[in-house]
Amino acid sequence: MTSNSFKKILVPVDGSVYSEKALKRASEIVQVFDSKVFLIYVVEKSIPVNLLDRKEYLEILRKFGTKTLEKASIMLSKKGISSKLLLKEGNIFNEIEKVVKKEQCDLVIVGNKGLGSVSRLLLGSVSNKISQSSSCSVLIVK
Amino acid sequence: MAIKTKKILVPLDGSKNSLRGLDMAIHLARQSQGTIIALAVKTVPGIYAIHPLGFLDFNSMKEVKKLLADAKLRAAKKGIMLTGKAIAGDPGYDIARFANNAKNKIDLVVVGARGRGSAKEIFLGSVSNYVLHKSKKPVMVVK
Repeated sequence: MTSNSFKKILVPVDGSVYSEKALKRASEIVQVFDSKVFLIYVVEKSIPVNLLDRKEYLEILRKFGTKTLEKASIMLSKKGISSKLLLKEGNIFNEIEKVVKKEQCDLVIVGNKGLGSVSRLLLGSVSNKISQSSSCSVLIVK
Repeated sequence: MAIKTKKILVPLDGSKNSLRGLDMAIHLARQSQGTIIALAVKTVPGIYAIHPLGFLDFNSMKEVKKLLADAKLRAAKKGIMLTGKAIAGDPGYDIARFANNAKNKIDLVVVGARGRGSAKEIFLGSVSNYVLHKSKKPVMVVK
């Protein structure tokens, strides 16, 4: 079985506590398996936003995205892990799936919830979707 | 070792996918010098929970036991300790309960993406999905 060795690991971050947890877990795995890390932040474009504010809104999101990515990479580099940062725009799930296919990642590590509504007690929508239909293995950190 | 996954729970149902999950668990256990707990659940229709004679039919536990023996052999070849556990009940519910039980000290649950359910299901099996949602421990879905 080839997928037993995690050569490339994708960690989607969104700045939430859960994604931080996932990152911590990822760093543990990376240290053991000596794999490459991709960090991805996706600027969600498909949510309906007021047309007038749209540009400004996306700008804020982009800024936030680069900030969280930098934070995450600093956290990883403290542990001696170098990572590749990706900032994508579009639908969260589609972009993640695209990167997985393009880079042929072996593992996706996600937190069980994200920045979505608090009322979702169990599994976040993005985490759920990834685990349901992603083409590679998924680790859900709780 | 950096990884803190000492105890890995692997639910088995005899399907190819669950064996893949086992392989992955063995691989992880080798890295962290952990142990594996294999859990084989014999499906018991809910009606037997009320009917006292339902659990008397121990013959069919044979299949489950054989499954665990196979798994043990597979893990032993790679030098990993594997403890087998066979229970009767509803797969999803019991796996999740076993994983959440603090006494068992499970660190990670590794499930195959699909099991024995209908082959038409392209995506995630129902049991995997249930465990994914209900488990309080990290879950790895192996595709």
